[in-house]
Amino acid sequence: MKVFIDPPNSLVLFDLVERFGHEPLSTMAAIQERVDNIEVDMPPMNVTLDDVVKGLKYAGVEVPSGVRGRLALWGPLIEAADAAIVMDDCPYSFGCVGCERSNLMVKYLIKRRGIPTLHVSYPEDDAQAIAFVAKAKEFLEGLK
Amino acid sequence: MSEIRETRLFMISPRSRLTPDQLVRMVHAFGAEALVKETCYGCLVEGPRDLVLSIRDKVREEYRNEVFTKVRAYPCSDPRRCRAQHGTRPGFAQLEEEWALLSRIQRGLEAVEAGAEYAEAPAKKRIPVNEFKKICEVQR
Repeated sequence: MKVFIDPPNSLVLFDLVERFGHEPLSTMAAIQERVDNIEVDMPPMNVTLDDVVKGLKYAGVEVPSGVRGRLALWGPLIEAADAAIVMDDCPYSFGCVGCERSNLMVKYLIKRRGIPTLHVSYPEDDAQAIAFVAKAKEFLEGLK
Repeated sequence: MSEIRETRLFMISPRSRLTPDQLVRMVHAFGAEALVKETCYGCLVEGPRDLVLSIRDKVREEYRNEVFTKVRAYPCSDPRRCRAQHGTRPGFAQLEEEWALLSRIQRGLEAVEAGAEYAEAPAKKRIPVNEFKKICEVQR
């Protein structure tokens, strides 16, 4: 099954989804298609004009273009997903490398699709990590 | 996902005693015709998708819970990204953060393999007023 991961470029979630036998839907695959087929230029020109127009499907015109650009990549992935894993409160998904508005929109889009979704919090210690892995394993194995 | 080219990032957990050099030598020893690039956190492997996936499976057989992997969008040494060629890669902010997390995830995977199951964490309780007063008045 295709599992959307949030944060969409997370190494941990990508690895766990693959490990337990599913196909992770990530930003990397979406960008790779653009790198291999469209020949995008350097950032911040990583998305084409078409992408930003596509993003209008998921966010209004008054929304900052950065949010729309992100949603142009992630929106089609969410539409293609059969399930989703969301890691809440990741320190790296907020601030200079993340965008909280995009994160909220992603969570809304996942909820609107109504697919099975697992919400886990960012593990702060070993006990939480064990609970996180066990929960993710139970969820992913239950999808089969 | 493209069937032609896949670039994969292999990252070693900080709890592991494996070094990037050992990992790269092991991947070379598989004899596969893939491009392997040693990095500070592990290595990058590039080649046709099937080949890269077979390398991933072999690495995982050997170091099941110590090496983590994900796809990388840009090819190895891509001039748009590679810092050696003055690319614009802003840094490893997220990878660095996740690298620190990997030791906990490794412990989690080992515990789950040993039979640990998910248990709801006990809900945090509110401190009784008298106890809270004692904490507040400790300096008196």
